[in-house]
Formats: sequence, C-alpha cells, structure tokens
Amino acid sequence: MSDWSKVTRPIPVPNEWTKPFWDAARQGVLALQRCRSCGHVQHPPYATCTQCIGVDLTFEPVRGVGAIYAYTIMYHTGDKRFASAVPYASIVVELDDAPGALLAANLLDADYTEAKVGRRVEVMFEKLTDDITLPQFRLAAG
Amino acid sequence: MWDNRCKIAVSGVGYSKVSRTADRPLAAHALDAVRDAVADSGLRMQDIDGLATYPELPATGHAEVDGISIVSVNCMMAMLKLPALTWHIQVGTTNIGGAVQQATNALLAGVCTYAVVWRAMHNPAGTYQNLPGVYAPGAAQFTGPYGFGGPGQGMAVAYTRWLETNNQSRDKMATLAVTQRKHTQHNPHAYFYGTELTREDYFASRMVAYPFCLFDCDIPVQGAVAIVLTTADRARDLKPKPAYIAGYGQRLHFETAGRIGSLSSYMEGGSSSAKLTWERSGFSPKDVDVAQIYDGFSASVIYGLESYGFCKEGEALDFIQDGRIELDGDLPLNTFGGSLGTGRIHGLWHIIEGALQASGRAGSRQVKDANVSFVGASAPIVTGTTFIFVGDPY
Repeated sequence: MSDWSKVTRPIPVPNEWTKPFWDAARQGVLALQRCRSCGHVQHPPYATCTQCIGVDLTFEPVRGVGAIYAYTIMYHTGDKRFASAVPYASIVVELDDAPGALLAANLLDADYTEAKVGRRVEVMFEKLTDDITLPQFRLAAG
Repeated sequence: MWDNRCKIAVSGVGYSKVSRTADRPLAAHALDAVRDAVADSGLRMQDIDGLATYPELPATGHAEVDGISIVSVNCMMAMLKLPALTWHIQVGTTNIGGAVQQATNALLAGVCTYAVVWRAMHNPAGTYQNLPGVYAPGAAQFTGPYGFGGPGQGMAVAYTRWLETNNQSRDKMATLAVTQRKHTQHNPHAYFYGTELTREDYFASRMVAYPFCLFDCDIPVQGAVAIVLTTADRARDLKPKPAYIAGYGQRLHFETAGRIGSLSSYMEGGSSSAKLTWERSGFSPKDVDVAQIYDGFSASVIYGLESYGFCKEGEALDFIQDGRIELDGDLPLNTFGGSLGTGRIHGLWHIIEGALQASGRAGSRQVKDANVSFVGASAPIVTGTTFIFVGDPY
C-alpha cells in the first residue's frame, strides 16, 4: 500500500469560484456546483453552467459515492514530495449524483493494484491544514 | 471542397541538431533550422517576408526566457533583421499546426510571399514536468494535491479509460513503439537514429505513469525544425518539389479548464478537426497513402486513428498490428519515427514528414507512390490541427 505519511501535498488555493467547495470539504461534506436554472451539477467549478450557460450557480451537497472513471499509477519520482508514495493511484471519479463531473483523487486504504475503471468508491476526507481538507476516495463497501 | 486547395505549398524544410541537453541557447537551434529550410528552398534569407511560430514551453514549472527556453517571433526577427518582413504571428489557441495554418491564410491573402514557420523546443535541466509548488492555485487546486502533474498523467488516465472500457491490452502498443523506432533508422536528424528498440526492450522498460512505460513517452530534447511556405506558383519555381496543402482543420471542441481524464475531449477534438480536413480536401481516410499522427505520448496515436476516422473506436491497437503501419503497409504511420523517434519537438516535424512524403522527398523511408499524405499535428484534445498534403495538385 502506498505510504502517504511522508508526502507533502501542494495546498489548494481557493478562489471566489471554488471557495464553497473547500468550505464544505472542511466540514466533511462534498458539495459541487449546481445550476439553479437547469439543475446541472458540474466540477471543477466554472463561471457559467457548462450545460445551459446559466450564471445562477450554487453549491449543494452530493452523495460521495460513485465509480472510478479512469486512473493512472504513478511510478515517476520527479517530484520528491511524492516519492515515498510511489507507486500510487491517482484516480478520476464520476459521482452517481453528478454524471460527467470528474473529480481527481487518490485511492486510499487500498493497494494501488485495486484501481480499475468502474470500481465503486466512496468519499473520505484528509485534513491537510486548518483551512484545507481534501476529498479523497476509498473502495466502497459491498 | 475548398476553393483554396493546393494554392499554398510547403517548399523547404530544415532541422537543427537535436540534443538531449541545452548545450546551446535555443535561439541557435532555431536559427539553424530556419537557415536550413530557407537553403533547402534555394531562397536567400532576405526573400523571407513572413514569420510564424508557437513559442510555448510545455515543461511545467520552468521559466519562459526568450532565446533560451522559447524562441518568439521577436527573438527570431531580432536575429534575422529581415529587410522585407510584411507579416508575422504567434499562435496560442492551437499548437504549431495553427501557425502553419495562419501562414497559409496570410499567403492566400497576399500579405506575404515566403513565410517561415519554426518550432523550437527546450529541454530544461531537472524534472521536465513539475507539480505545483507549495500551493496549487487555479485549475491545479483540484489536481496538484493528488499528485497529478503534467500532460503525461492527464493522457494516462484517458488511456486507462480507453483500455478498460474496450477490454484492450497495453502490450499491443509495443508494435507502435518498435515500428516507429524502425522508421527512425531512416531519419538521420532524429535523436534515436542509430538506436534500435526491440519488443523485449519495450516490455522490460520502467513504468512512468501506468499505462505509460518509458518508451510510450517522447524523450525531452533541445532542438528546432522549420519550413518555408509559399504560393503554389512560386513554389513550382523553387528547388524542391512542392507539397500542396489540400485541406486543413482545427479542433472545434472546447472544455472548461481543469477537467481531467475525459476521453471524449480527445475524440471530439480530433473528429471535429478531421471533418473539416476531409470536407475541404475531398478525400476520406481510405484515400490516404501515408499518415503522420502526433505521438508525444503513444496513446495520442490511438485517439488520432479513431477520431480522424482511420478505424472504429476501441480498435486502434488492433489496427496497427500485422505490418499495417510499416513503410510498405496499408497505412504507413509516423514514417520519420514520430516524436518517439525524433525526440520531443512537437508537431511541426509531423508536418514536415507529411510534406516530404507527398512530394516524394522522404529518401530511404519514402512510401512508394505516396500522394495523399495526412497529418494530425498535435494531441487532438485541446490544440489539435490536421492537414492533407498532396504531391499532385487537383
């Protein structure tokens, strides 16, 4: 299993569009941007709705369950901050509540060989700093 | 069909030495390539009145320093001091193929007569693709914290998606790497000229970002290539046999920033660009005699072959087997070795090879009776452009 204990991750810098996402994550809630006009849920947050060009956007909690859409296993140790974790699985998750919205994450609490397209995953939260908590994913039970 | 088909042609082509490290300022490489291309056409430098490039440094986390890590139009003009310059551009929303297309448009508009396009690529010291620093701002806030760095990983995730939804095996990609390296042995300008690659080498190589092993990735190098474009009537008066531009296209599919891993963005980028190229030229994939498809990472060839219409989705790794992409195969592919053979110089070298094959100037790697020559000049996802060159105008 990848050893993440010695990894120093780059710290996300929220901006005016993304701050509600990180505020929710700090509370242990996965909240994605939703269009009030057409109901479309999208990620990453954007200035307009990518479906109807609406500008009335809000953030709402979504269920943190979905499937691995795609993944890569990182072996390269060019960035020494991640070297202790290689090989590690960087995954892209598509949530049941947000088809088409793709969230990057790591597959935690499992061997990297467990990463497969279509495998069910659920959200967990990894505290990075007092201000930033990262949504992460682990294999879903059952 | 396009009214302007075959009205503009590639004439001369030029190369600098390709080296692993930045042994000289990049400006010197670019200058060598431009001089070589102008000489190949039999022109004098003072005849050149148009300049175009795409002066980007794809290595992340390194400074763009003009003349050292990029070569802008400003840098080139400061060196050449062309007395007759009437037109220039640097493109941003397309890769180098867009600079070639803009030069084509400028020649059609009559605002210049001999345009030079170059692509100069720097290999910085240290790690090529760096993750964000201590902080991850902008689009990287959703990727950098998870160890997603440069384009290699971005393309790798789309590759696992492709492999597993199509129930395919990455082992089949060895054919691409080995065949292209074989082609490379006919290209003395290429970085890997003189270095063979076997299937065993491919399977034994270290993994970089699964499913990409070392030989799925083009090697970062320092070097430059260049071409001279001019109108068809002028090109016919020059030394080399012209390669006529029968049609071109740009990708028309756009994605919001920071979205990662979407296979559809490669496919829709490629098909939208190719559709324009087929319509304008009047050709279809079955008419193509030889193809160059951008291969900075091997999987880009899959997305290209499928989205441009050479084979069905999910079938590209089967399509390239059984000798089909050899020099005497049904679709000779990346006949100059591709980026996997030349080193990371981006798509202008694919354009050069497309032109050389169309005009019968490809030497010992010339595909017999090649006329319709297709080029996909960059990864189809965001900055993709496509071209058809022909040797016989119609």
